[in-house]
Amino acid sequence: MPPSKPQKRPKLSREGFGGQLNYFLSRAVTNIRQNLFVNVLTIGTISLAILIVSLLLLVFVNLERVTDQWSERVQVTAYFDNELTPQELHTLKSKILSLNGTGKLEYVTKAVALQRFQARMKGQDALLEGVTADILPASLEIQLKKENRTGDSLKAYVDRLAKIQGIAEIQYGDDWVRRFNKFMDFMRVVGISLGCFLLLAVVFIVANTIKLTIYSRKEELELLSLVGATRCFIKMPFLIEGIIQGAAGSILAIAMLSSLYLGFLHNAGNFISFNPGEADLVFLPLSHLSGVFCGGILLGFMGSLTSLKRFINF
Amino acid sequence: MIQLHNVFLSYQNDVTALSNINLNVAKGEFVFLTGISGAGKSTLLKLLYGALKPSRGQILIDGENIIRLPASQIPFLRRKVGVVFQDFKLLPNRTVLENVALTLEVLGWGKKDIGKKVYHVLKQMGLEHKINSTPLRLSGGEQQRVALARALVNDPKIILADEPTGNLDEESREQILGILKGANIRGSTVVVASHDKKLIGNCHRRVITLDKGHIVEGSDAAK
Repeated sequence: MPPSKPQKRPKLSREGFGGQLNYFLSRAVTNIRQNLFVNVLTIGTISLAILIVSLLLLVFVNLERVTDQWSERVQVTAYFDNELTPQELHTLKSKILSLNGTGKLEYVTKAVALQRFQARMKGQDALLEGVTADILPASLEIQLKKENRTGDSLKAYVDRLAKIQGIAEIQYGDDWVRRFNKFMDFMRVVGISLGCFLLLAVVFIVANTIKLTIYSRKEELELLSLVGATRCFIKMPFLIEGIIQGAAGSILAIAMLSSLYLGFLHNAGNFISFNPGEADLVFLPLSHLSGVFCGGILLGFMGSLTSLKRFINF
Repeated sequence: MIQLHNVFLSYQNDVTALSNINLNVAKGEFVFLTGISGAGKSTLLKLLYGALKPSRGQILIDGENIIRLPASQIPFLRRKVGVVFQDFKLLPNRTVLENVALTLEVLGWGKKDIGKKVYHVLKQMGLEHKINSTPLRLSGGEQQRVALARALVNDPKIILADEPTGNLDEESREQILGILKGANIRGSTVVVASHDKKLIGNCHRRVITLDKGHIVEGSDAAK
């Protein structure tokens, strides 16, 4: 007898991509309903894991905001021996504005410098005796663009600025900038290490929870392969279940994070006095929330996929 | 329908489970596979539905050498073979209808057609009134009939039953045997692994006896 070809699936009522997808979706939903307890357990684990990561993200978003505000204090001051004429000021301003990295410019006349000095020395009139506008230099305060506020780019900017004729002296608080940069580098290393460690722990916990969920349904997997189900047919409902679990887990985590934020965190800045600008903490922006949601889906999907590999070996 | 040529099966620790098995089961035949526990009955059945691969030898099912089948083609072999176990292997959280429907869902049948076909098969088994029950609410005999319905619902060419009456009372045994005989009359080739001498004696069918992994009796098909 000649060898028979593999049986083709008969053309029946559930044909085409739409029909297949519809079947797998309804199968996944039915499976969740029939295994409610383990699914609730998995969704709970995923949501807690994502909540922890989201909280860390919230801290970093706010830390980033604070450091942004701090870095705004980095400014370069160019001093002049004499008061500039309007014509000289205009020429100098256009030269400085043509430098890459220049943000806002503010000209401080000798008179304004004296006013500022007096305001700073208020109550110490003895020190102000004999101080006139003439002995204070006029200056131009230069705010830099964000990308030029740190490290080598700031140094390079100052070098380019020094080449402009007419500037007597340049100050930019290089010691403060150096310490600020070191602090930022340290925060980044701590943040990335903590983030990676947390992410690994989360992936490990979620993958094992899903593995246990699938293990509890080992019989079902065996049975499906016994009645002639293909690998794809067995896997699809489980993968869709993983996606649903991931999506539900991340929605739940975002809801919990929102509640925490609205309940306690939004005014936490009032008693955590590390924020020199606005006191309130900000919530995660939409782009980050979308990332958390997609991350949850990916977590559920990958967790199911890797766990299934263990049990489907044909 | 089923041919085994010089089949050997050894496990990794050099334990030989089956040795030099030569067997020929004709289309439409009903055979018993017997022998004491550990003789190799279940192992032989596992080879026939592709759950195990032999260390040596050739196995032809419906003219197809299943040793050469890639893993991706094994599901298509299993669609020709209905398998029944002593422990029924029913999903406890699904209804009778859903358990039996699994076989047809895998084949891509639509919901309406599945409903009709499953009801028809369950009616043949006398279980149509239990269609919405879960297996845990059924007796052992009823659970085995549901397992049989799942194996028979797509009219397989071959039915393999591993101790199908092992845990059942006299009446249930007769019912199960009757169902298997009915499937055989409708054209399926049936292989039943059992050590129930009374059951085998009452049936008057070819008996293949295994002992320590060897066939000691009944390897040739009846002329």
